[in-house]
Amino acid sequence: MIRRFFEQAWLYHKGRAAAFKLSEFLCFDAGYPVITLIFYCLLASYCFQTTNLTHWVIGNAFLMCTNTCIFGLGSIFNGERYNGRLRSIIASPCNKLALILANGVFPALFAAISVIGGFLVGALIFHVDFSGVNPALMALTILCAMLAATGLGLLLAVFGLISDSMHLILNCMSYVLMIFTGAEFPVSQLPLPGQWISQILPLTRSIKAMNILLGNASGDYLSLILCELFTAACYFLSAWALLRLAEQACRKNGTFDLF
Amino acid sequence: MSHSVLLSTMILQMKQSFARPMFRFCLIANPILNTVLLYEMFRNSGEKDFASYVILGSGLMAIWGCICFSSAGDINRERFSGTLSLVFAAPAGFPLIILGKILGNTLLSLSSLLISLFTAVIVYRTPLTLASPGYFAIAFIAMIGSFVVISSVLACLLTLSRRTTLYMNCIEIPFILLCGLSFPVDILPRFVQPVSRLLAPTWAVELLRMAVAGVTDPQLFWKNLGIILILSVIEGLFAFWLFQRIDKRVRILASLEVC
Repeated sequence: MIRRFFEQAWLYHKGRAAAFKLSEFLCFDAGYPVITLIFYCLLASYCFQTTNLTHWVIGNAFLMCTNTCIFGLGSIFNGERYNGRLRSIIASPCNKLALILANGVFPALFAAISVIGGFLVGALIFHVDFSGVNPALMALTILCAMLAATGLGLLLAVFGLISDSMHLILNCMSYVLMIFTGAEFPVSQLPLPGQWISQILPLTRSIKAMNILLGNASGDYLSLILCELFTAACYFLSAWALLRLAEQACRKNGTFDLF
Repeated sequence: MSHSVLLSTMILQMKQSFARPMFRFCLIANPILNTVLLYEMFRNSGEKDFASYVILGSGLMAIWGCICFSSAGDINRERFSGTLSLVFAAPAGFPLIILGKILGNTLLSLSSLLISLFTAVIVYRTPLTLASPGYFAIAFIAMIGSFVVISSVLACLLTLSRRTTLYMNCIEIPFILLCGLSFPVDILPRFVQPVSRLLAPTWAVELLRMAVAGVTDPQLFWKNLGIILILSVIEGLFAFWLFQRIDKRVRILASLEVC
């Protein structure tokens, strides 16, 4: 069963990436996020009049997962509809939670790799020093962040069953992450409702946890990581529950391919 | 006849663009979210006229987003709809129809600048004060012209590719970075600055900022305007040359719909 799960995960990844040549895949999955990271770090250096860009390199490196976790995963059901497989998937007796999790395996992996790439770029271009950081804790933080971001991506993907405006939803969510996670400016600058929103989003705690590891912030690292894992679990369960509801609505109204 | 073709193409394009959720995101949501993001980043910058960076920056980023995700992608949409060969072979001429589309998109996208302004005024009570309104009007027209010319080059280049969506996504941020839409190009690395200076929008953005802050050196203003005109003519001729080459190529290879 586990082998089948990973086979399915690989198949989903191939389905998403097969249309691209390796150069295009690298261009979109590595080049574009790196340019975005450089852009926001330069913008921060101008806005905050600083040369110490550690905070922004961390924040924007974590946001590099947006491409894969939000845009890639968020449009999976749209993709299935486009390819005519949506009815088969919904009607099949397979476990939908396994289906959702299988979809998220490779995006989470690639997102984690892109975050590490972001840190490397930050170290090379903006001279951020990661030498004193415990690699195991760093890997744990990245893993937790990517799990939570993948959960959010899957939750958004379910909206693809009931909405034809996924581009709008996904793009808005990418900005919500930029504004509310503390990647571009401190969360404390936001009004109180904004700070509440930041607490229910993925990445907020991971960014803070990574800043703690680098000695850039103070706080309880372990509780932040546990809260991020809890957030990830909530998103996965919400995605699963919402999928069941959307599935029932689609079955009842006969709107798998329509709205 | 050419005027009526241009006008009807513009109107049709505006209607078609507004019907797409992604364009609505670029036109309405993007300037609002960008204004919030840039305001929060710039508010502690110590920059005297930071409102101009926030409002102009977010508005221009949104205009570029509209151009990127519409003007550049329209050819692929025509291809997908099966109408590209009809548009290409139409007696009115492909360049005229494409120009109509680009003008329609660009004019419609200008409203995002107003949306940025309203967001800054309503949410942050930060109005944009124009020190030199006359110069601003001239700079604004120069900015529209420079964006139209750049869009024409992009539209021609993307005629040859089926992976327009990928390239549209990949050129958005690099262009914002190179043209200094949200911060001055002077903070870019020295080896990048010559590339920025070859793009007409870079000069147009500088003119806009100059007009907002107040033109103290009119000679410099007119000199920069002259540079925009020269660059726009060169880029326009480049777009025309590209079109001639592409026209010849797709007629010989019969590859317009299968590029």
